[in-house]
Amino acid sequence: MESRLLSLVESHGKSMICLYTHRRMAITAEDVCLDRILLIQDGFTVEEVTPENDLQILGSDVTVQITSGDAELLVRLPFGSQTQMFLQEVRRRCSPGVARSEDATAVDPEQSTSGEAKTASTYRDQKPKTASEMPTSEQAQGLSTRPPWLRDTLIQSWLTQKEDSYTHLQSFRFFVGTYNVNGQSPQESLQPWLSQDKEPPDVYCVGFQELDLSKEAFFFNDTPKEEEWFKAVTKGLHPGAKYAKVKLVRLVGILLLLYVRTELAMNISEVEAETVGTGIMGRMGNKGGVGIRFQFHNTTVCVVNAHLAAHAEEYERRNQEVQDICARMQFHQLEPSRPLLTIDGHDIVLWLGDLNYQLEEQDTERVKKLIQAQDFQALYRRDQLKIQMDAKVIFQDFREGEISFQPTYKYIPGSDDWDDSEKCHAPAWCDRILWRGKTVSQLSYQSHTALKNSDHKPVSALFDVGIKVMDEKRYRKAFEEIVRSLDKMENASIPSVTLSKREFLFKDVKYLQRRVETFTICNGPVPCQFEFINKPDEDTYCKPWLIAKPSKGFLLPGSELMMELELLVNKSTATALNSGEGKLEDILVLHLDRGKDYFLSVSGNYLPSCFGCPIQALCYMKEPIRETLPKAVRELTLMPLSTEDAFLEEKPLDIPKELWMMVNHLYRNACQQEDLFQQPGLRPEFDQIRDWLDTETLDVLVPVGSNHAVAEALLLFLESLPEPVICYKLYKSCLECANSYEMSSQVVAMLPKCHQNVFRYLVAFLRELLKYSGKNHLDVNILATIFGGLLVRPPSGHTKPGTAEKQKAQQFILQFLCQQGDVPGYRLLQR
Amino acid sequence: MAKKTYDLLFKLLLIGDSGVGKTCVLFRFSDDAFNTTFISTIGIDFKIKTVELQGKKIKLQIWDTAGQERFHTITTSYYRGAMGIMLVYDITNAKSFENISKWLRNIDEHANEDVERMLLGNKCDMEDKRVVPKAKGEQIAREHGIRFFETSAKANINIEKAFLTLAEDILRKTPVKEPNSENVDISSGGGVTGWKSKCC
Repeated sequence: MESRLLSLVESHGKSMICLYTHRRMAITAEDVCLDRILLIQDGFTVEEVTPENDLQILGSDVTVQITSGDAELLVRLPFGSQTQMFLQEVRRRCSPGVARSEDATAVDPEQSTSGEAKTASTYRDQKPKTASEMPTSEQAQGLSTRPPWLRDTLIQSWLTQKEDSYTHLQSFRFFVGTYNVNGQSPQESLQPWLSQDKEPPDVYCVGFQELDLSKEAFFFNDTPKEEEWFKAVTKGLHPGAKYAKVKLVRLVGILLLLYVRTELAMNISEVEAETVGTGIMGRMGNKGGVGIRFQFHNTTVCVVNAHLAAHAEEYERRNQEVQDICARMQFHQLEPSRPLLTIDGHDIVLWLGDLNYQLEEQDTERVKKLIQAQDFQALYRRDQLKIQMDAKVIFQDFREGEISFQPTYKYIPGSDDWDDSEKCHAPAWCDRILWRGKTVSQLSYQSHTALKNSDHKPVSALFDVGIKVMDEKRYRKAFEEIVRSLDKMENASIPSVTLSKREFLFKDVKYLQRRVETFTICNGPVPCQFEFINKPDEDTYCKPWLIAKPSKGFLLPGSELMMELELLVNKSTATALNSGEGKLEDILVLHLDRGKDYFLSVSGNYLPSCFGCPIQALCYMKEPIRETLPKAVRELTLMPLSTEDAFLEEKPLDIPKELWMMVNHLYRNACQQEDLFQQPGLRPEFDQIRDWLDTETLDVLVPVGSNHAVAEALLLFLESLPEPVICYKLYKSCLECANSYEMSSQVVAMLPKCHQNVFRYLVAFLRELLKYSGKNHLDVNILATIFGGLLVRPPSGHTKPGTAEKQKAQQFILQFLCQQGDVPGYRLLQR
Repeated sequence: MAKKTYDLLFKLLLIGDSGVGKTCVLFRFSDDAFNTTFISTIGIDFKIKTVELQGKKIKLQIWDTAGQERFHTITTSYYRGAMGIMLVYDITNAKSFENISKWLRNIDEHANEDVERMLLGNKCDMEDKRVVPKAKGEQIAREHGIRFFETSAKANINIEKAFLTLAEDILRKTPVKEPNSENVDISSGGGVTGWKSKCC
């Protein structure tokens, strides 16, 4: 293991990690030397790994494997948020797609001692290992990029609430010690301080101050004394038990060590350490505090070691420093999304250190007299810390045990004699141990005069601490209950509605008859967005003859909405329903966003109608369509259109009788009707005409409606024809010869017989109407405009006809209307 | 207490003839309750339940489908995306058992290739009305290489076991992965999409 300085350098959009070898206590640029550079490029990974044989305690030093190109490096980084920050910055740069800010830090060792390098100062690296032993980078990144998870947080909070139900208090012995060592190295055994008690403690919290007074320690936070004192403490621990180091944290000369009996180590988790400097500029580490927080079984514990400002009159500064440490010491949590933890946020706080509070009584002689008389109570009344605590200025809720030992400062090193140097410092209880927590009771509080190395005497306190220990079985039960209730909550938050009706029957639906069924959606307790969604392989949420109003919307909790299903069979859907190829059947899927789907069944029956029926089929139907067998309607509707009369036994009618009935009615009654074809009829009149045509065997149209209604029905009939009078295949030729009557006549001659008949019949009728144009206000242009668009229609798939195309169609009709003389089809009209 | 949550989301589907007790099976598993009144499921319903398997917390999102024949073309479109399908018949209803092969064909045609299937003979508390012997259920399951349980939602027999077994079978095939951003929305009850998401 060798020590290295690591720095993250960013320059011209490229990032790299630079490693430097360095002299012990590097101060200037000459003390460090660039060792190697790892470019942060494709394939660069930083993975947290767990070294073998390491005590599995979360929060201990972080070992990471860095891979860049062929280079692999195993680095152990020290505890704390600085390392986390460093790693975060590195990871941010190795994840692709991150916009890089231009940060022109040159690759210069001198630079490296500032900036990032300072945050991640000395790291020891080991020999590279083979990559195959390591987890994948995906895992490591998963650790750092884990997003916040509400559900987890909820479970955690509820578990905390229910804690009493699955934990019981169990006593553990905590040893807490503090020792200002005045920059000395350990020279004597620490056993008289650390293991005076018969019974070995379960947990050791050992704090030092003034570990190293050198400027190197001050500026670089690096000192060989750390190792020396760590070893001395380890040696001095109670021989009656085996201990594992949980954590070590140091800020310049303030060192805190946490040990636990090896067999209890598995119950320690979530260990984090932090430091707060309160020295020069309120930041430097010559004064301040270090803290370790951890969870022992189910109890959270925070241990703070503080070294506060010296000098008797500075008690207000000390107060301020305590408040600063409390405010600024914030521990990261394992789950990065969770808030930072403060000292206050722990079940138990143990606060030790050289707090440096003096006695208000500064007359050295009088103090010494009281000490000699062992009148510690009288002295304690003059203790600044006690006075400040009583005044509730600091350490509210903290307690201190009764002091029954003489002041711990200031002695002549190597003796138990007071320091009488010219500064003549009055003795004081500088070194103190305080606690906060309901389940803590102090067993002893004493100083240890046997240790003579320093001008301070070490102090120790033994505590009986009640720790919440979890009952696994009861915990499982509590956990189960929480998960169940969470599931219940989640199930209850799935949007859900009730529908007043889910089956819709439309009976005896007729052509162009608007039918509406209503139902209500009642929303449950969850606001929801609903929408009718398309079924697989379909482009619409329902069949073309149906529409839902509204088809989507939003519902407030408990609200109701009236919905309509509107059914209308028009020219585009009638033919298939006539033939039975199509059915009035559909299933609508009402989808709730993030919720259930409801199926709505729609069914009904359609009454066949001459509207939507092909001319040819109607010509073969001697009876009204509703009197014709469905099978026959089907066959006739599907029968291919033949130019000549089909080889059916029966001879077809020349033209559909329904057409004849309408035209004949108009011919007889409406030739002189004002504004014929230009005024609409009434809705019920159309309904009656349709029903008459579809059901009546009489071949006259009983005057069921106004002439306008019959005229409109005629137009609707022509519009509903699945094959227009001028067949689709002749549409183009028809437009091409629109300027030549001769050629137009040839086109008409190419039509199937029944279409020819219908065309000639209609032309004859229209020409008849033109004879009365004085009365009915019709002229060739009006008629050509109206009938052009009905008789000459582009096939489906054809682009929508433009004005020029429409004019040609009108022109085509116009020629026939303008012809003089013999009118084919007139015979039909006269029948 | 600092247990890490390794969550996975498994989507399960209940299919089978109308009236075999799919909704009751689900209701028993999710709410540990039973309702005797028969309300035909007309649509797609779902519930969630979190279970722990091999130390992993797994969220089961269980879809209950309409069993009526007229809805089959629609319901089959929900098969896609299901990781496990429970095919339920009624041991007191021979027809529901005869239809098993039709349902299995449906799964072959519409579900993911690697879907875990399971056959349940429900209403096994009604021994006096039984028309499908247990052996026949076992036989057809063996022929198709799928697991089989006789269950009773009413008497709470084998319901939990069936679901946990199915989830375990899926888990066995699931590559172990760290949680990542992909399954974040699990907690919100999101990811609830049928075929709708396909066409958008």
